[in-house]
Amino acid sequence: MMSDLQSNWYPIASSSDLPRRHVYQTQLLGREFAVWRADDGYVNVWENRCLHRGVRLSIGINNGTDLKCQYHGWRYANRTAGCTYIPAHPADAPARTICNNTYPAQEAHGLVWAGETAVGAVPELPGFEDATVLRAIPLNAPMDLAARMLLGYSWEDGCKGQANADGSVTVTAADGTAVRVFLQPMDSNHSVMRGLINRPASGKERAALLRRHSWLMQELRDRIESRAAAQDAPAPYQPVIAKVSDDLVDIPALGAAALRAELRVQVARRELTAEGIVSLRLEPVTGKLPTFQPGAHIDVHLPNGQVRQYSITNGPGETGHYTIGVKREPDGRGGSIAIHDTVQEGDVLAISAPRNNFPLRRDSTHTIFVAGGIGVTPLISMARAMNAQGLSFEFHYFVQSDDHVAFRQHLGEFERALVIHKGLSPDATGATLKEVLAEPGFARHVYICGPGRMLEAARDIAAAQGWTDETVHFEYFANTVEVDDSTAFEIDLARSALTLQVPAGKTILEVLRDNGIDIPSSCEQGACGTCRCGVIKGDVIHQDVCLTNAEKAEGKSIITCVSRAASERLILDI
Amino acid sequence: MSTSKCDDQVTLDHWYAIAPIAEIEGAGIQQTTLLEQPIAYARNSARDVVVWTHEGVPGDVPDRNCLPVRERYGYVWTTLGAPEHDVFPIPEYAEADRRNIHAATFGVNVSAPRVIENFLDMGHFPFVHTDILGAEPHTEVKEYFVEVSEDPDEIVASNCKFWQPMAAAASTGGADVDYIYRVPHPYCSVLYKSSPLDESRKDVIAIFVQPLSQEQVRAHMLLSLLDDTNNDTDIRLFQQTIFGQDKPILENQYPKRLPLDPRAETPIRADKSAIAYRRWLSEKGITYGVIPSAA
Amino acid sequence: MLKLYDYELSGNCYKVRLLLSFLAIPYEQEMIDFYPGKQHKSPEFRQINPLGQLPVIDDNGLVLRDAQALLVYLASKYDESGKWYPRDNPDLLGQISQWLAFADAITGTASAARLHDALFYAHIDVVKARAAAHELFRTLDEHLFFAEEGGQDWICPGDHPTIADIACFPYIILSEEGGIARIDYPAIRRWCDRFKRIPGFVVMSGVFPAGPAADDRAKVAVPGQ
Ligand code: FES
Ligand SMILES: [Fe+2]
Repeated sequence: MMSDLQSNWYPIASSSDLPRRHVYQTQLLGREFAVWRADDGYVNVWENRCLHRGVRLSIGINNGTDLKCQYHGWRYANRTAGCTYIPAHPADAPARTICNNTYPAQEAHGLVWAGETAVGAVPELPGFEDATVLRAIPLNAPMDLAARMLLGYSWEDGCKGQANADGSVTVTAADGTAVRVFLQPMDSNHSVMRGLINRPASGKERAALLRRHSWLMQELRDRIESRAAAQDAPAPYQPVIAKVSDDLVDIPALGAAALRAELRVQVARRELTAEGIVSLRLEPVTGKLPTFQPGAHIDVHLPNGQVRQYSITNGPGETGHYTIGVKREPDGRGGSIAIHDTVQEGDVLAISAPRNNFPLRRDSTHTIFVAGGIGVTPLISMARAMNAQGLSFEFHYFVQSDDHVAFRQHLGEFERALVIHKGLSPDATGATLKEVLAEPGFARHVYICGPGRMLEAARDIAAAQGWTDETVHFEYFANTVEVDDSTAFEIDLARSALTLQVPAGKTILEVLRDNGIDIPSSCEQGACGTCRCGVIKGDVIHQDVCLTNAEKAEGKSIITCVSRAASERLILDI
Repeated sequence: MSTSKCDDQVTLDHWYAIAPIAEIEGAGIQQTTLLEQPIAYARNSARDVVVWTHEGVPGDVPDRNCLPVRERYGYVWTTLGAPEHDVFPIPEYAEADRRNIHAATFGVNVSAPRVIENFLDMGHFPFVHTDILGAEPHTEVKEYFVEVSEDPDEIVASNCKFWQPMAAAASTGGADVDYIYRVPHPYCSVLYKSSPLDESRKDVIAIFVQPLSQEQVRAHMLLSLLDDTNNDTDIRLFQQTIFGQDKPILENQYPKRLPLDPRAETPIRADKSAIAYRRWLSEKGITYGVIPSAA
Repeated sequence: MLKLYDYELSGNCYKVRLLLSFLAIPYEQEMIDFYPGKQHKSPEFRQINPLGQLPVIDDNGLVLRDAQALLVYLASKYDESGKWYPRDNPDLLGQISQWLAFADAITGTASAARLHDALFYAHIDVVKARAAAHELFRTLDEHLFFAEEGGQDWICPGDHPTIADIACFPYIILSEEGGIARIDYPAIRRWCDRFKRIPGFVVMSGVFPAGPAADDRAKVAVPGQ
């Protein structure tokens, strides 16, 4: 019986109940919903319970692009309901699987429809194409009793009520005017009557019509309630509280989780956004895209068989697509050329779910972004998130010339914070960076992304001027270190009690894979940090560019795709 | 809500603060509820505090069949069971230069363990106690230690630090404030907070939760401070403001009972103490005010 | 300077603080230990207000009590725009008075239920108080629904809130503390959001601020400043 009810569509709100920046609260079959419209119009129907500590999301804040929980400020993205930020751990990227429970929803006939497990289209309502939505009337009575008594609803002599197969009631007057009332079962003894009248109305007429039916239905409500009060109240529904996924049970350790699932996306738009840079807007072929956080990248599987990483440039709440920027690198390994020359609008590509090795802290009093060339892409996403949240930042973009400025429309969102530095020589760039990075301080952070040489210069300058390692965040696009793989050594895997030999010419990552041990990887050239793993004992020759100098000196981590042992043996925490 | 009385023996076998002693003076017979059992309390003709159970009408002060009573930390404590130990110690309470203040007894429509978990939580300071105990963007909960000891049977979270906008009345800017939390009782917690006046000592704030039912409580709040500048009213009002901010959060938690199943909610590193607390309750076999994890 | 005898957790005191903040009137607070000290029932305080109730103001020697009366007085005296309590608009004044009385009824029900649940006022019939509050909320929700339909954001006509909104807001927003849910009153919930976005709005303990409105511009730092 319950499962039948759960697969139905029910109207749970009028469209007008969902103005911008508001969170509407309702209930269906005993389960509470927080319902909110994002600035892009999308209607989110979520369980009214923050996954963190169960606080109602209906007391949270609709920021237009995400919903912020009132208790600890966790942010959940429009559409995907995935958590994008956990303020208590500002330096971490939240686990991808922290996702609120969402329910199927559709907006039609001026109503928002939802169901626990509803599929397919909401009912068509022949004769009600140009209907007016009446004021909804909640009542303390079971849905069935309300439906039965609605058969007697009447606004003039000669009204006739008729029960419909979907549980709604249609009352028709002699002149053909008809009111169709749907019942929303909030709980076993608590319902809402949601009516539609089969004609459009505006101005004074509309007001009179709505008032008349509001009044009549409230009269009927009083009669239904006194009938309900005379009978025993049914037991409340007991909605099942879904458990969170297994990997969220333990406190998540630092570091990325394996992401294997591949997504199919279609190139919905391909544009030249700057000299030598195309932007690709990737939309899901079916379903929704997983949640991304600012700074995240995706692996793109190219038609030529290569896999390349590209940062997502989207702003918060832009969850219907991923937009990436690709620079044509004539001297590169061919990936960018494949995209520039062969990928067209309408093509379908395989991508990975987003992965974030470059998380954005939002506990800074001021943040300085330093972008060089195509390195602007992850920083654009970060700056858009900061801007939407009203956080203080400045954005320095180093380019060759005006023609090389990419994603102008997004830069325009934070114009006041933007400084474009054009055509500077390496020396002039260094001098400018010195000025830009002149003032380290409490809760100030720097994010740098760009070509290797500029990145190193910026890191050195920052360090020389007193920025600590913890305040300088960077992401390399490529590893410029000459990787030496001529050594041979042994690795012990502490947790799996295996000993393996790493010969010259093979990487640790390859040896692990050959032995059936899967650890996630992405760039496989020591730039992205995805294949990082813990070192329990042994010395490391670091050949990557993603660990900080402090991390390298500490020797507790290794990037397994490039780095090797300095000693004969390494004990790894796998 | 079930109207049957508590049958969780573990919960019954604890002491509970039921009222501030100061409120008994001259007030005649007063009534409250403990674990769904109506109880009454008063001073008898010998000026002793007497607590007894009744079923609807408290009657006169009885001279027999009364509940055990302790007077500790300014409150009357009683029990419906047979506690193994006396009321847990708060040694600082007896220090001569401290001001011990009853801040409030507030009713909250939530289970007792949800109140304790909130009391242990620092992550909410900037969002719930905005500009008092925290302020955005300084939201980080730094690593801290949690220990569960067997003797005494309690949880201790130490080395807790949180950035506060006005760490002390005398400070001009924000600073990290140090905290230590103790959970010596399933429904009581004691917090030690760095004192602006004396680096070597700490202010003490304690919360004693009296479960009325599985989903309703009275929270008694005790302050034991080294403060010698503010008057009692200001100190009380400050604490009431803080608790008043937590109240709507607590009353909007779903489910109201604390779920002990590790897969019911999503912990993060900042919730270490809460994780230890949930596990500790599970191990004790507490079933009152919680949703036990299906073994 | 104007003095307010105040208690943080009192919704009636909050009404006065709200108006003082909307009008940006500086004032001095005299904190009363309402609970647990019952200072408002003390002989000293009864000399200020024989009824032993909060709030009370002392405006240069003029001592006044009763939240609704204070709203009328303060708006009449200090609101130069004349919008919070339009003295020369009898139609509106009539409507405002009608809703001030309604606000008193909310206090008598929703506030009573809150005192029962939070501070154990044993003499209150909480079931009755909650039911009566729901009746009032039904009336207000319908009123606000049709106000919105007519393009009106506030309880009384016009494009500016009045002291009627201030008088109704506190015990509505605190109603859940008395076990009175607002899930059945979507128009009231939307009005609460609008109210929280009035420039000068302040919170009290137990009330959270609203997020930014859709048209609020985000603030961005200018480099070099
Ligand atoms: S309960 Fe929502 S963020 Fe913690
Ligand atoms: Fe708190």
